[in-house]
Amino acid sequence: MIKHLPIFIVLAPLLGAVLAALTSWYRPKLSFPIVLSGLFISCLSSFCLIFNILNSESGVIHYQLGGWGDKGEYGIVGIQITVDYLNGLILTAVTIISLLTAIFSSQSVNRELAGQQRYFFALFSLLVTGLLGITITGDIFNLYVFMEIAALSSYALIAYGKGRSYMASFNYLIMGTMGACLYLLGVGFVFVKTGTLNIENLSLLIPQTLQTSQTVFVGFVLIIVGAWAKMAFFPMHGWLPNAYTYAPTASGALLAPLATKVSVYAMIRIMITVYSIDYVLKSPNIQTAALLLSSIAILVGSFFSLTQTNLRKIACYFIVSEIGYMVGGAWLANDPGLKGAVYHIIADAAMTSALFMVIGCILFRTGQVELKKLDGLFYKMPITFIALVITMAALIGVPPTCGFFSKFYLIQGAAQAGTWHFVGALLISSLIKAVILFRIIEIGYNKVPNPAKEGNKTIPRDEAPISMLIPTLIVTLSLIALGIFTDTLITDFIAKALPEIPAP
Amino acid sequence: MMTGLWSMLAQGNLIKKCIGMAIFQTGIILFFISIGAKNDALIPILTEGANHTFDNPNIDKVTNPLTQILMLTAIVVGVATLGVGLALAQKVYQQHDSFDEDEILNNQTK
Repeated sequence: MIKHLPIFIVLAPLLGAVLAALTSWYRPKLSFPIVLSGLFISCLSSFCLIFNILNSESGVIHYQLGGWGDKGEYGIVGIQITVDYLNGLILTAVTIISLLTAIFSSQSVNRELAGQQRYFFALFSLLVTGLLGITITGDIFNLYVFMEIAALSSYALIAYGKGRSYMASFNYLIMGTMGACLYLLGVGFVFVKTGTLNIENLSLLIPQTLQTSQTVFVGFVLIIVGAWAKMAFFPMHGWLPNAYTYAPTASGALLAPLATKVSVYAMIRIMITVYSIDYVLKSPNIQTAALLLSSIAILVGSFFSLTQTNLRKIACYFIVSEIGYMVGGAWLANDPGLKGAVYHIIADAAMTSALFMVIGCILFRTGQVELKKLDGLFYKMPITFIALVITMAALIGVPPTCGFFSKFYLIQGAAQAGTWHFVGALLISSLIKAVILFRIIEIGYNKVPNPAKEGNKTIPRDEAPISMLIPTLIVTLSLIALGIFTDTLITDFIAKALPEIPAP
Repeated sequence: MMTGLWSMLAQGNLIKKCIGMAIFQTGIILFFISIGAKNDALIPILTEGANHTFDNPNIDKVTNPLTQILMLTAIVVGVATLGVGLALAQKVYQQHDSFDEDEILNNQTK
């Protein structure tokens, strides 16, 4: 049972999706509990798995699908699942957030997509399967397949939004397919030279014998560019804001925190495990370009968020800038930079999730999230508003929250590498987020006179339903908890997840 | 492959984008198949007359089955993507009565 734990993580939501789609023919109400239990099993097994990793000596768990294991001189045949500290941590984050989002979304889906809940939840579960698969797999072609599973279900989830969402989803499809195709082409180049697709075999072959091979280098560039298109990195970010703004609330709340972060993980995995840090440092041209692009991404994302009037669109542009943080941190390719990038994947998944859940709560009650129509929000939905302020504080990087620590590591890394434009971009984006926070406080709290004082018209309390409020609060409080336990997280997990980094 | 990529990014017509996508994917499939191909090689099925046994296959005389299997998966993915893409394009057409990107954009901002 314990031996087969890794496969349960992917299998539970997959079976959940299939069962939910099938049983819905005669019992539509069953689909939600089935999906929920699938996600719960997956969450439970990822917890067990991470404790197993902590207790094991090597810190790595291998699982051979169908028993097609090590075949001596041929290396590893068949698809392998590899779980170490890096993806164990991300698996746990993905399963927890998807479980909470499922609980969160049941009410809003009932309202927005009446009659279609069963298909929605089947797709929801399929998307989670794809994301978990990308995280857990130890095979670069398998990663492509899971990438497309996740992508195809997310196109459909976005297109549920009606209206402009069709065009937004189509643009995402074109961009996403281009990214996946480039990735596949890169895998082909790597395969020509090495004859294997297993990440573990590749990590032995490439850094040692194929350092100077042009073919492998082209493969590297193609894979990285493909991953960038998938995660909406700067020149290819155009699809993201529209797609996530016009999607239904529930799809937005699931896609925004997880889909892009998992692609970032895939990029980091390719960089540090398949190609090794040494390889990255020896290709300085791409490193400079990537750092420059991530600085531009941060600035572009921040400035565009300043010009928007819709809170959801602002949040989408935040994602564009946060992607810049993570890519930049990873490409700094030094110890604090990589720690910051990996930590920021977890922190940003929680922050974006909290932000989109809060937006979902506001949408549920007021039906719109235009900034100027949010006046008096504090008196109307006090708990939601406080959650929004805490989330924004985390995004800015106010000390007790997790946003501060990831920025701290990233800036430290950038200073060590001497990449000052990255430091500047990080600070400017923090400032811009602070401006937006104060705008929100101004509109939500100060614009309307306090109803408690005499003579003012009272605004009725209209808090979001409890099933939406509790997941929102859990995620919001986890932002502070993550900040407090940064030290444990960094030394016990992230430091062990990263390979030894050559001193500059 | 490059024709497909150009068509995906530069064309304004949604259907042409879909066609470009299909060309790009087919190009990649051919690329993978060409990796596994060998001169005078047969399909990777062991038969009596092909001059090899299960334990000692005559590797020069069979193509690499791995790339073909990978591409089987990639074809499935490609067909699914194309299907979703065309379905979305149809929905967009129902909304705006046009496949042209600029016209749709004009329609949306009105």
